[in-house]
Amino acid sequence: MTVMEIKSFSSSFVKGVVLAVATVALVGGSAFSAAGNVENGAKVYMKKCWWCHGEEGEADGPAAEFMMPPPRDFSAGVYKYKTSPPDAEIPRDEDLFVMISNGMPGTSMPSWKEVLSEQERWDLVAYIKTFTDMFEDMDNPPALSLAGKIPSTPDSITKGAKAYEAGKCFECHGERGKGNTQKKLKEGSGAKLWPRNLTKQWTFRAGTTPENLFARVTNGIPNTPMPAFAAETTANGKLSVEDRWHVVNYVMSLADPTNQVSQGQIVIKGVQRPAIPADEKDAVWDGVEATTFRLAPQIIQKERFFTPANDLISVKAVFTDKDIAFLLQWDDRTQSIPGEEKSGTLAWGPLGHDAVAIQTPVTPSGSSEKPYFGHGDGKNPVSMLYWKSQSATDPAGSMLMTATGNHKREMGDAESIGFTTSSSYEFGTWKVMMKRSLVSPNTEKDTQFVVGKYIPVAFANWDGSNGEAGSKHTMTTWYWLLLKPAPSNDVVVIPAMIFALLFFGQYAFSRFAGDKKNKA
Amino acid sequence: MKILRPLIPLTVILILYFALKEGVPYLGSQLHEGTWPVIPTSVMKMYVFFIAVGVLLIFTFTDDGFKANIGPFAEIYLNPDRKIIRFVSAVLVGCFGAWVSYQYVKPTFDAPVELRSIHPAPPSNAKMWGKTYSIGTLKNPLREDKENFAANVKAGGEVYYKNCFYCHGDRMLGKGPFWDGFTPVPANFVDIGTIAQLSESFVFWRIGTGGPGLPSEATPWLSAMPVWHEFLSEEEVWKVILFLYDYTGHSPRVIEPHH
Ligand code: HEC
Ligand code: HEC
Ligand code: HEC
Repeated sequence: MTVMEIKSFSSSFVKGVVLAVATVALVGGSAFSAAGNVENGAKVYMKKCWWCHGEEGEADGPAAEFMMPPPRDFSAGVYKYKTSPPDAEIPRDEDLFVMISNGMPGTSMPSWKEVLSEQERWDLVAYIKTFTDMFEDMDNPPALSLAGKIPSTPDSITKGAKAYEAGKCFECHGERGKGNTQKKLKEGSGAKLWPRNLTKQWTFRAGTTPENLFARVTNGIPNTPMPAFAAETTANGKLSVEDRWHVVNYVMSLADPTNQVSQGQIVIKGVQRPAIPADEKDAVWDGVEATTFRLAPQIIQKERFFTPANDLISVKAVFTDKDIAFLLQWDDRTQSIPGEEKSGTLAWGPLGHDAVAIQTPVTPSGSSEKPYFGHGDGKNPVSMLYWKSQSATDPAGSMLMTATGNHKREMGDAESIGFTTSSSYEFGTWKVMMKRSLVSPNTEKDTQFVVGKYIPVAFANWDGSNGEAGSKHTMTTWYWLLLKPAPSNDVVVIPAMIFALLFFGQYAFSRFAGDKKNKA
Repeated sequence: MKILRPLIPLTVILILYFALKEGVPYLGSQLHEGTWPVIPTSVMKMYVFFIAVGVLLIFTFTDDGFKANIGPFAEIYLNPDRKIIRFVSAVLVGCFGAWVSYQYVKPTFDAPVELRSIHPAPPSNAKMWGKTYSIGTLKNPLREDKENFAANVKAGGEVYYKNCFYCHGDRMLGKGPFWDGFTPVPANFVDIGTIAQLSESFVFWRIGTGGPGLPSEATPWLSAMPVWHEFLSEEEVWKVILFLYDYTGHSPRVIEPHH
């Protein structure tokens, strides 16, 4: 209710007056929700919300089956993100208002503040409360106490790390917070649920301030396995108020600002090195800039896939005068090993391999015509470097392919380009290195990597424990790869010449003008 | 301190420059979040040139002003006792020139520009559902059906929320949950630059044939827009079109008859 409200205040006076009224009412506590008009809320709901949440609020709208997490079932009256005290059964009206206004990043629930007025959003709060009798005869609960907040210090973060262990957060969120869970988790409804990757805080649903996170740890996330740590009853034990603030500081310290899309970066810059790195863990990779892209599910061609788990892929490239190597890195909550028992217990749907592929046009042609991003087309084929993880019986494998359209693939001669891969899965992160020669003897079916030329490139990724196989996977559309040429001498020579010209020019001027003046 | 006098017009120029470059977009962003354009470099260069000329004119307008501002230059370059300051000035001017030329020759690794026609002329005939449609004369058969209008709009909404929202967004703003995975980004139907400008037959063609149906000036190889005749029936497409216009409040463009 702060920064954003202040902005809207300055943007329009009328809104400002509404806001002032709202603020006064909020301070007055539960009184305000009465101001929400149920009838008007119903009208807005039937225009904007029922498509997902259902006509009767039962989460069975036409869109519901195409998303993970599924929409909230208002008829059950259980809300995930509440800031009421742990013993209150219901959320505060303000919680519903904030979720409607801000939306929930990482889900299909959009933010409505851009399209609905403040009043309309309060009307909706009043309306969605009528889908259940949970709110009847209940006063709006007070806000959870935030007393005892501890500022983030190295000491507090260390204590937080201990609390993270004591509360067994790692069992679900992984030792380093990547969400690489040890157990299969479900929504209350039984639907597929993956725990949050705590390093990607842009996916947090209900805010990323210490206060937001304190409320999460205190109240847990109702209707999911995420426990309420204020309560004695959970298997994970209780955390004291102090420990909860420490663990909040620890969670905040896990935020990895590089673990998100490289804004505005659409060119992977390959750099020249004397030798190709030995494997995916070689220290050479540390000095190479990564470009990170958003993965979207394949929802374009048959068979489509709507509930992805992986959302990012990060890419580095290194080349020598003979070879090129890519380092592909992505957070994946599960190492999917078909045939292995442990992997089997975590998987949703048939357990497949984890896999990744790089796609480039066979004939890259700068900014003009490209192959269709989905496996090329009859006129413009694409070449693909594909890697898949090990199974219980087979080691990891790789393939070179050429495609001329969806499901029109043929195998290439991987040996002719010296295609090799190496890979490892640690703490919830896959690293896969792919190496091949810059040029290929098969110019009809395979890409030639030319230094200094912009080469279109796209990626695909499979999470075998998330029901992904075949055309059901995540992907990107076309981006660019540039193997950066050695800098030309001009970069030094031209500025140096300009410097000399101006420097001596001024002396020449002063002598010339001085002579003239003396003569005069 | 006379020698510092020319710094005054320079300072004024710099202040005006920053006011333009940072101030205007900042002010705009406060008024209209996210929509205020940044001033393009070429226009900035022109403004700065005029500002510089204007400020210099003002400061050298009178004889005294001219002397006060130009005098110090004569002092630096012509007075034999000003050796050190002359050297410093020569180095500074040289460095500035070198820096400017470096900005021009330094390698940039910006992606190649890909021009893309957003609303290309449609082909006169398009093949969908095994039939050939003449795009110029096509009309939405459901638009005249006043009796079932509301039901058709609702059915179109269901088509939308089963097939389109994850790209074009639950709010029709082009920002569905996966919008940022695709370049070009999905169309924003609320914006006046998309369906509001188009006839229903054009929209029918775009939905039916998707990205791959575009002519090459519209880069069909980039668009993630699916080929909907492979997933939906003809009637479903007409219904979703009714819904798009109804939800956003836009009216389709009416095609003028051909001559
Ligand atoms: C495109 C689908 C979609 C639309 C449209 C939509 N929602 Fe949601 N909504 C969701 C999903 C998905 C969730 C659950 C996210 C989760 O569980 O993390 C959700 C959750 C919620 C929650 C629960 C927050 C909590 O703490 O549990 C509220 C309240 C809500 N939506 C209200 C609305 C209102 C009001 C509208 C209409 C203005 C609306 N939604 C429109 C998909 C949608
Ligand atoms: C039994 C499994 C489990 C344990 C133990 C667990 N979590 Fe979670 N946590 C989850 C799941 C599942 C979610 C995602 C729920 C959802 O999206 O609906 C989650 C979500 C979160 C979020 C994201 C909140 C948001 O706004 O998106 C944070 C932060 C978090 N957990 C912190 C913790 C901390 C800290 C601990 C230990 C003190 C912990 N969790 C223990 C399963 C668990
Ligand atoms: C996978 C993402 C995706 C899905 C799903 C999708 N679209 Fe699109 N759509 C796009 C993209 C990207 C564009 C912009 C590029 C283009 O014009 O082809 C677009 C463009 C359009 C346009 C052209 C607008 C204009 O101004 O020319 C229309 C109309 C359209 N979509 C309608 C639909 C309808 C109706 C559906 C559902 C049946 C749908 N789209 C589903 C991605 C998608």
